[in-house]
Amino acid sequence: MPDFGDHVDNGIFSQILEMDDSEADRDFSMPLVLNFFEQAEETFVKMDKALIQRNLEDLSGLGHFLKGSSATLGFNKIRDSCQIIQQYGHKQTIDGASEPNEDVCLKKITEALNKAKSDTSHLEGKMKQFFKW
Amino acid sequence: MEEPFVGPPLSWSGSSSIGAGPSRLDLNILFDLSPLPLLVISPSWRITNASSRLLSVWHVPSADACVGQELLPFVQNQLSASPVHLRYLTVAIDDAIATRTERTTKSISPHSAASWRVRVIPIFKDDELVAVVTEWLEGPLTELNLAEDQIVTPGLSIDEAFRMLVQAVKDYAIFLLDTNGRIATWNAGAELLKGYTRDEIIGKHFSIFYGKEDLAAKKPEMELEICMRDGRVEDEGWRYKKDGTRFWANVTITAVYKDGVHVGFGKVTRDLTERKSAESRLVAAYEESDKLKSDFLANMSHEIRTPMHGMLSACALLLETELTERQRDIVGIMDESGQVLLQVINDILDYSKLAAGGFSIHSDIVGITSIVTSVVRSVQTTLPPSVHFELFLAPNLPRSVQGDPLRFRQILQNIVGNAAKFTEGGSIRVRASVESEDMDSYTVMTEVTDTGIGIPERAAADLFQPFTQYDATTTKQYKGTGLGLSIAKSLAELMGGRIGYRPNPERHGSVFWFTAKFKKIKSLQQIQDWKSKLVAREGTILASPDHDVVSLQKQLATVASIKHFLLVEDNVINQKVMLGMLRSLGFKNVALASNGSEAVNMVRSKPAAYDVVLMDINMPVMDGNEASRAIRKAGIRVPIIAMTAYALKGDRERCLEQGMNDYIPKPVDKKLLIRTLGKWILKMPDYRRSFGDQLNKLRHYEALNPTFSPTPDAKEDAAAFWQGSVRNSSDDTVIIAEPPASAPPMTGNEADRETPSANTTADNTADNTPTAPLTHEASVEDSIAHPTDSSAEGISVVPDPVRSQPRSIDRKVQGAPQAIEIPSNNEFSTSNHGSQTSEATDSGQGTVSSESATSSTTPFDKSVDSDDAPVNTSPAAEKNLFMLLP
Repeated sequence: MPDFGDHVDNGIFSQILEMDDSEADRDFSMPLVLNFFEQAEETFVKMDKALIQRNLEDLSGLGHFLKGSSATLGFNKIRDSCQIIQQYGHKQTIDGASEPNEDVCLKKITEALNKAKSDTSHLEGKMKQFFKW
Repeated sequence: MEEPFVGPPLSWSGSSSIGAGPSRLDLNILFDLSPLPLLVISPSWRITNASSRLLSVWHVPSADACVGQELLPFVQNQLSASPVHLRYLTVAIDDAIATRTERTTKSISPHSAASWRVRVIPIFKDDELVAVVTEWLEGPLTELNLAEDQIVTPGLSIDEAFRMLVQAVKDYAIFLLDTNGRIATWNAGAELLKGYTRDEIIGKHFSIFYGKEDLAAKKPEMELEICMRDGRVEDEGWRYKKDGTRFWANVTITAVYKDGVHVGFGKVTRDLTERKSAESRLVAAYEESDKLKSDFLANMSHEIRTPMHGMLSACALLLETELTERQRDIVGIMDESGQVLLQVINDILDYSKLAAGGFSIHSDIVGITSIVTSVVRSVQTTLPPSVHFELFLAPNLPRSVQGDPLRFRQILQNIVGNAAKFTEGGSIRVRASVESEDMDSYTVMTEVTDTGIGIPERAAADLFQPFTQYDATTTKQYKGTGLGLSIAKSLAELMGGRIGYRPNPERHGSVFWFTAKFKKIKSLQQIQDWKSKLVAREGTILASPDHDVVSLQKQLATVASIKHFLLVEDNVINQKVMLGMLRSLGFKNVALASNGSEAVNMVRSKPAAYDVVLMDINMPVMDGNEASRAIRKAGIRVPIIAMTAYALKGDRERCLEQGMNDYIPKPVDKKLLIRTLGKWILKMPDYRRSFGDQLNKLRHYEALNPTFSPTPDAKEDAAAFWQGSVRNSSDDTVIIAEPPASAPPMTGNEADRETPSANTTADNTADNTPTAPLTHEASVEDSIAHPTDSSAEGISVVPDPVRSQPRSIDRKVQGAPQAIEIPSNNEFSTSNHGSQTSEATDSGQGTVSSESATSSTTPFDKSVDSDDAPVNTSPAAEKNLFMLLP
């Protein structure tokens, strides 16, 4: 398995790869990963929209949603950004302290979203190489 | 200077008819003929009248000899009074004039044969002083007079000194109240403190200084009442000034008596505002620093504990690998030292929590007998063969009570652990009984008697103090923080009990005892609720080491084709991964629901269709918590395993509270999934069995498995357990003494059939479990004949000689009632030699028939779990049966 650096939790991702019937084919993991990037793309679009509407509740839900799938695949960097989006969507800092200032929350979410997007496209490139799609 | 003479005033007569025309002459006669020695003086202190009595007493020839004379020279001449004594007189007259009230002097003229006291009565007409009447009271010369005389410095009378003192004091409000509580005097301090001037306040009731609440509580009246009863009263509280502001005051009220008659109250008020605020600042600072200290300790302990656990787990894993003997020794030392350190840290953490008051007692179900036996068992494995263990469980001990099992165990573990630590030969006897019982609770007394090194008298007093450790040797032979007993004491007190020590009365050694109060369990429903929680929690205890995962996976694969899952997950990616993971384990029958609402509908429509529900928590429409509640509400007991990415401490408990059975953090680890599924699919009884069966199963489970106590967290349990040090190289991750007989694996449709007891025993032997099961054999004669001579590692379960009742156990097996009579003096010795068990089973030795010998090995197997056998065990019989069980 190639080294994805700190983008990917190798332990978790290898569990996914192990579910493939053959390493040549990767008929389980490849569609899954492709699926993830589609899902991420869709979610980012929704997040952008929610950001414009200043809809923190939606942002929190979307953050949680993408956090779930990125965590399942072991995509740690994306997961962490999603965690930030989820937390500030709840008007909370990462430590769970209250952050009543919506502007601060929206700013943090914007930053995290941008990071998530760039991490996603970076990882997509690496995955493309790995799966040779 | 000429003053108007207005005739002799007769103020003492009670009449105020001064100058009333027709009676003037009468009054003169009255004055003159009065039996009292009287002198009337003008405002310029000249004598205007003298009564006949005075003239005769003082041997003055006629009134003319004195009228017109100045008072002081006349008195001095007559009585040869000293200047000091004359001063009494002048002060009294001044005072009387100033206050417009009568005054009486102290004794004057002690040098003559008699002493005189003078009553001074000022007579005013409006604001004008008309005259002063002096009445001369003759009295004997007394010692007191002499003494007083010597105290007073020349030129200052005592009265005057006190008056000046009281007047001048500015820091205290000092004033007198009359008998009704109305203010009679007022000093400078009072004026400054309370803001009222003298004129404003005199005559007002003193309750004016009190706040509304105090008035409503009738505090002023009560204070006077108490003062009358006790002579004085002291109070601290808020008092109000004239401007409405308040101050924190210390108030002392003293009842004042004059000549035995109550004349009023002396009241001294002090402003404590400054002192109080200083005090509260001090208290706040102290509390803050104390809290900081405790927080620090707790945090530090936590910070240290986490890597400690990591290290110990690594050690355990390392011990599992192939090692040379020398390597194994070294790792063993690492492991052991780590355990000691962990215990020290846990002690300190407990202590700091206790000291900070942050320790709470949980309410859970407690199986006292099972905890006691399991503690004994765990400690027993650490004992040298020269120490013999005896266990007495009173027959009246309740099976299940409500309380904190973990803390109860912790105390017992500490005491029994100590006994084991300090005893190198002889015996350790543990006795548990009910000390008292009322409507709602039992007080359970547990006593641990050892024949160890004992405790010298001088050390006994400090035993329960923190950080004290009695150590007879100069080199520290016995490890520990010295916190154990002080923690045990606090815990016992938290559980409404006490703890104590006395020397062993029979021989050298100690007796430690403690009591703890437990609530009675009232309803069956309550038991059921607790038990289902128990089953849910039991999971982590059974966590098996890695090498078991492979075999578990194989077992799962054999039943996978007939198992049905419901996966509740909203995220497609997660769905796919879970499906993939389940498929890789062989599970093909997986239904999908994408939110809680769908899941509830699916489960409700097919209540017996699914073997396991895997439930995401955070989902749209209806979340996992709500869905689980709904499923439980519908009476469906399908195992629900929560999956969530919240990986916080307490999440597991929260899921369990919602009615779920277990918890897997996301991303799901395959090994953990295998273990969890292994537990719920292979080991746990099928939920589709009836309620009664479930309950029996649970009882059976509890009875067979003494360590099966409610534990919120295996780690915590392990920590509490550690003192016994049950670790052994072949059993690393399961620290807790866990007899494999506790949960015989049940597979699929065979779940209803328990593994026969003999097989269980055989399994144990094969597993080489360090804490081999305590099986029971009726080795009666042996133990009775040589009570201290029985198997060194054996535990004797001895019927309490005091409380023991004849036991009869009625049970119906396959419809045929059988009775086993066990003589009351029987002793049931238990042993951890697996081989002996099979002997017992084979030969059925002792007084019990071979049929019942088998039963007594694991009596519940027969009584409860015979598939088609109706079971009818009376509560008393159950208790007795239970007595025989570890």
